[in-house]
Amino acid sequence: MAQTLPYQQLTTCYYALTAVVLPVLAFAVNFFLKKGKAAGWISTIAIGATTVFAAIVFKQQWNAPLIHATIPWFTIGGTAVNAGILLNNLSVLLLLLVNVIALPVHIYSMAYMSHDEGFSRYFTYLSFFCFSMLALVVVDNLVLFYAFWELVGFSSYLLIGFWFTRDKAVQANKKAFIMNRIGDVGLLIAIMVLFSQYHTFDLNALFSADGLVANSTLTNGLWINGTSTIPAVWQYLACAGLFLAVAAKSAQFPLHTWLPDAMEGPTSVSALIHAATMVAAGIFLLGRVYPLFSVHELDALAIIGCFTAFMAASIAITQNDLKRILAFSTISQLGFMVMAMGIGAYASSLFHLVTHAFFKCLLFLVAGAVIHEMQHIRDENKLDFDPQNILYMGGLRRKMPITFITAVIAGLALVGLPFTSGYLSKDGILIQAFEWSDTKAGVFKIIPILTLITSWLTAFYVARLVFKVFFGKFRLSEVNPGLKLHVHDGPWKFNVPMIFLAICCLFPVFSLNPFLYEHAWIYKSFLPSNFLERMNPYHTIIPIALNILSLLVIYWAYAVYVLDKKLPLKQNNWLFAFSYYQWYFNEAYQKVFVQPVLAISTGLFAFDRKGIDGLIHFFNRIILWVAKLSAAIDRYVVDGFLHFVVALVRQIGNFARSFQTGRVQYYLLTTVVAIVAWVILKILI
Amino acid sequence: MISLTHYLLVGACLFCIGLYVALTKRNAIQILIGIELMLNAGILNLVAFGKFDKAANGGQLFALFAIVLAAATTAVALAIILNVYRRYKTIDPNKVDKLKG
Repeated sequence: MAQTLPYQQLTTCYYALTAVVLPVLAFAVNFFLKKGKAAGWISTIAIGATTVFAAIVFKQQWNAPLIHATIPWFTIGGTAVNAGILLNNLSVLLLLLVNVIALPVHIYSMAYMSHDEGFSRYFTYLSFFCFSMLALVVVDNLVLFYAFWELVGFSSYLLIGFWFTRDKAVQANKKAFIMNRIGDVGLLIAIMVLFSQYHTFDLNALFSADGLVANSTLTNGLWINGTSTIPAVWQYLACAGLFLAVAAKSAQFPLHTWLPDAMEGPTSVSALIHAATMVAAGIFLLGRVYPLFSVHELDALAIIGCFTAFMAASIAITQNDLKRILAFSTISQLGFMVMAMGIGAYASSLFHLVTHAFFKCLLFLVAGAVIHEMQHIRDENKLDFDPQNILYMGGLRRKMPITFITAVIAGLALVGLPFTSGYLSKDGILIQAFEWSDTKAGVFKIIPILTLITSWLTAFYVARLVFKVFFGKFRLSEVNPGLKLHVHDGPWKFNVPMIFLAICCLFPVFSLNPFLYEHAWIYKSFLPSNFLERMNPYHTIIPIALNILSLLVIYWAYAVYVLDKKLPLKQNNWLFAFSYYQWYFNEAYQKVFVQPVLAISTGLFAFDRKGIDGLIHFFNRIILWVAKLSAAIDRYVVDGFLHFVVALVRQIGNFARSFQTGRVQYYLLTTVVAIVAWVILKILI
Repeated sequence: MISLTHYLLVGACLFCIGLYVALTKRNAIQILIGIELMLNAGILNLVAFGKFDKAANGGQLFALFAIVLAAATTAVALAIILNVYRRYKTIDPNKVDKLKG
């Protein structure tokens, strides 16, 4: 470390570094071991040790002054770039959260993936992901941030396409990767703009409370930072780039379509990456760069977040694939967090990020356990059905009691009913949304109202999911009475993580008062110091109204799905189809982006084949022809001349040889003729 | 009156006859005879020109030397012909056209 830090802080830094490095060691060991069941234990022990270190760092650093330790990395021209770690409340919270989610998922995975051929490959990837995510959380500059942002996306790509022999998985990971690339380009643009304005990559120097960004202003279309002034359009560009990055990683409209497809990966991966941690990276980025956004840009964030939340929830109510419902629910909840950032509820957004990580991860683990059993039924009875389709399930609550209870706890937390963590975080967002809209024009009232509606939609789809899966009768048995059913709760490696996460979904973990979100310790730590607690009617009316209506919605779902009352809404109208086909986003993107790109590519390919290759073939032919001509000249002219000379010499030689007969009289005659000829010549001339 | 021209004509005739013999005959001895004729034609010329050197009689003297030398060369030539005959069992020069022994 370049600067001298107090001993206490230095050890904290080393603990944090150890926490980051351990998973990558596990990755390296697993990578070189290749095969074997040891991989699971190696990764799990590494993440367990990491969790301990993260907990120590968290305990020492939570609500303490931030630690920023750097070493010089490289210098280009006059710009020195440092590499280092930045530990403030945000990073240590995420550091601990990622570990606390990753550890149960690792344990769960050991059982879930135990029969898979790629067992060690799975844990290799998983450790690599944990390393990337933990490093992303603690790094202190934008260059390193970008590097780990990419690595997180890359490990997500590897894990979505884990079963790479399945065509759907390959399509899904390609889609996720391309969508994330769009976001990466946005982040890169933002980093470049920020660097050209502030000449530093340092997150702390840029975004701390009185950092460079906080001290620069936007006036009269100019972006002023001390002496450096550039047009404000660059600031908009930086914000747009950052938003694209957030939208891609956290699956916000318009880049959300990859997340439902990402469910092709193993369910434990979906739980860790596509529900709890990686998708939270976008919110984390927002938290890091929060001071950059101006009021209007925050409004845009709120609008997009709210729209995404509503859209995803409206899709989730009609889906039949268990994991897809949860995926859309994740998009919806991430929309809540983005919206919370937009309305200035910074603390609530991060609080919701934490609580959501626990209950969504738990829901995915439950889904994994259920799908595991359904696959078991399918294989045992040699049937052919989709094990993720909730229409085939039902009545599993008696067979899988632990799974059922944890699912209900997680579901209640997702709906946001009292005594759960979800109640604390979500109601905080709703109340602040109403307070925020009071300060805005009347049109902005739509946002909190849409959020309320989204909450009720959430209640409906969660209730539908739980009732379809765990209540009623097992539907496959109704059509197929002779079915052999050996359905039961999973092994301890399933149950222990699920029970642990279920406990984390309850209120005492976050606040001793189950009804007031302001008392949650995470919430309090993120508030600016000048925050004044405001008490107004919203704080009592909204939670009551929300929860009473949510309970009604749940009862309605119970009536429809368990008591078999008629659904008052028809299933064959366009609204149902609109929701069922996910607002036709995939089809629209297919038409607007994919097909034109494919058409252009096909055209360019044809041009390449016909035009470029044709030209090359043409030159090819000319050169061949010239070469043949040159060969002919060589053979007939150059060689011909030589052959002529040779023949001439040979003729002369032969002619001269013909005199050498060895006969004396001929020699004499030749001499006489020569002398006579010479004499005659002398006489004549 | 026999003039110088008559001598020279006889010498020329002799030389031509000798040359013809040397070129055409298939017998080495006949060729040797042809050579002797040409030599004698030369000697005749020497003697004829010697008429104009009354003081020293160089022509006659030189002719005598030439006759002696001719006799010697003829002896050598006959010895060679004998040796050729022993080796090739012929004295036709056309059949003796190899230098190799």
